[in-house]
Amino acid sequence: MTSPSPSPSPTPILILDRVSKRFAGHTAVDELSLSVPRGVIYGLLGPNGAGKTTTIRMIMDILEPDGGAVRVFGEPGGGRVHSERIGYLPEERGLYRKMRVLDVLVFLGEMKGIDRRRARQRAEAWLERLGLAQWRLRRVDELSKGMQQKVQFISTMLHDPDLMILDEPFSGLDPVNTQVMKDTVLDLRSRGKTILFSTHIMEQAEKLCEQLCIIARGRKLVDGALSDIKRTHGGHHLVIGFDGSLGGAAQVFADKGLVSKVDNYGQYAELELASGADPQEILQRLVTSGARLSKFELQEASLNKIFIDLVGPEAVRA
Amino acid sequence: MRKIWAVIRREFVERIRTRWFWIMALLGPLFFAAVFVLPTVLAGGGGIRQIVVVDATTGSVGARITQLLNDSRVFRAVRVSAGGEVVDSLTAEVEQKRLGGFLILTDAAVDSGKAEYRGSNVSGFATVGALQRTIGEVVSAVRLEREGVDPRIVARARIAVRLETKKIAGGKTTGETAAQSFSLAYFMGIILYTAILLYGINVMSSVLEEKTTRIVEVLVSSLRPFQLMLGKVLGVGAVSILQFLIWGVSARILLANRPGFLTAGDLGEPDPVFQVPHVSGATAAVFITYFLGGFFLYSAMFAAVGAMSSSEQEARQAQQPVSWLLVLSFVSMFGMLNDPASAFSVTLSLVPFSAPIAMPVRWAAGNLPTYEIALSLGILAVSIVAVTWIAARIYRVGILMTGKRPNLRELVRWVRA
Repeated sequence: MTSPSPSPSPTPILILDRVSKRFAGHTAVDELSLSVPRGVIYGLLGPNGAGKTTTIRMIMDILEPDGGAVRVFGEPGGGRVHSERIGYLPEERGLYRKMRVLDVLVFLGEMKGIDRRRARQRAEAWLERLGLAQWRLRRVDELSKGMQQKVQFISTMLHDPDLMILDEPFSGLDPVNTQVMKDTVLDLRSRGKTILFSTHIMEQAEKLCEQLCIIARGRKLVDGALSDIKRTHGGHHLVIGFDGSLGGAAQVFADKGLVSKVDNYGQYAELELASGADPQEILQRLVTSGARLSKFELQEASLNKIFIDLVGPEAVRA
Repeated sequence: MRKIWAVIRREFVERIRTRWFWIMALLGPLFFAAVFVLPTVLAGGGGIRQIVVVDATTGSVGARITQLLNDSRVFRAVRVSAGGEVVDSLTAEVEQKRLGGFLILTDAAVDSGKAEYRGSNVSGFATVGALQRTIGEVVSAVRLEREGVDPRIVARARIAVRLETKKIAGGKTTGETAAQSFSLAYFMGIILYTAILLYGINVMSSVLEEKTTRIVEVLVSSLRPFQLMLGKVLGVGAVSILQFLIWGVSARILLANRPGFLTAGDLGEPDPVFQVPHVSGATAAVFITYFLGGFFLYSAMFAAVGAMSSSEQEARQAQQPVSWLLVLSFVSMFGMLNDPASAFSVTLSLVPFSAPIAMPVRWAAGNLPTYEIALSLGILAVSIVAVTWIAARIYRVGILMTGKRPNLRELVRWVRA
């Protein structure tokens, strides 16, 4: 999102409170807590095998947590209790191959708790909108893969849910459907819906998410607003340009409490900030020491960089 | 509850839309009729037998036997006088299949009751039995006449006795014959076995489809795995009931109009082992009750098998132990038919896995004490609950698992989890 995000309403739409899930021999999710505000696009990020799908399955009540609690819409219980208000697109997708498109949609709508008549009306409208109207009475296995993916989106949104949970929504999509998916997510967001999606592709998350949580090996590494995360985790890199006078810059750069690494070119320097250092303090000390600055820029690291810094290269490889 | 209903409806509607359902519905009665009629046709050898009577007797015995054989409509008999090469040339005829066989009659037939039949098929009990009866009748008549008994008295004495067997059930004599009981039991055994297996496997492939396409994830995020499994079993069960209704109605129409193939095997009045049985209301109730019991018991197991497999191939292997339970029950039906009251039969009708076939078979074959039915149903009901509970736990874990099939130890862990 390019526009500044409106302040989310106070009660989060989804809360995980120290949720854990163990399988034979390993812990897939380890005391994970997070909270998703209403009306945002929320990214659940992590390398493959980090526990994203397991977390989503616990939110959806497909798996029962071994510990901790899930609260949706401020009420206890997960996706099954509130299935009328939650849309879910699993990572691995499929439809009944032998059924007619319209019948599949009506059935899945019924599963989400809307009656047949309404499910049928909405399915027809959606098929029309995505250009599949003439396929509505055909069998699913007569459709191309791309068309089947569209039918799948429709099934997720048919009951007009307030919260959408999408597990790796962009994986395996062709470029056209990637666009459809992105537009749909943004459209839902503009209508006040909340979207939680998981991905391991940071570029996507960086463009779409307002809030996010990064997990690895079942544990939370960081969560919060994208802008905050970038500020706290990405603000380590400082670029300084001098306009003639260096003043006492050398002493300032030598302060290990402020700067951990310097790449000094004379009139230009790149600094790696020490952890906890305040860039404003460096600016102030440089100016009082008599340095003249032409440039002072705190560079924003890409989400990908932050992700790799946090997760470590070996986890990314996994 | 509305969601379970939707699952039931989907299973039902999608299944009766398939071509297979209608092929089964229409061809089923023909298939079962064939199962019925074939043994009769095969045993009777079918049609009229051409035979020759080689008459070496001095009186009229040969002529009278020939006459009576022709009257029976089972044989077409020609009488020839015995002579030098007659036997040799007849043997050649039989060998070339132009003749069914020939009967050699001498005076010994009347004196000591000996006659000889040579033919291509001497084991056909209907043929041999009919020959024996005919010869016996004529011989005893001739003997009596020789003793000076009035031929009219002999003719009156010849009237055959027809033994009617009737089953006693619930203190009342029913109109059912022993033969009918036998065929009813046999028939019910075959249908129960076929239907439980067929619809059980239907449940299995339905579970497998949802698992392999991963739709199951969406479904179990909306309703409990147990509700899904229940809806599936009930939906397929409803299809089977519809199938039975169609079969019942079409069998009734078929019998009312008795087409040619049902009477073709009728050899005049030989012992009809296979007769079209009369199905009483109580029998129908026992049949349906045990079918449903067996179907629920087995389809729960088949659902678990579907859930623990990841492909059709795996499922085919994994379902074998379950199918074998059913095959064993079916095979032991033949032993039970001989003695429906034996300890073996009673045991099988109490063991829940064989009871769905054993009990209806025993019911049809002979009188059953009510407490045995009650006991068997009680055990069956408890077993259904227990087996479904275990199956549901395997199902719950299995439908989300991919990769290799679990071994027994892992299964136990799934059940305990």
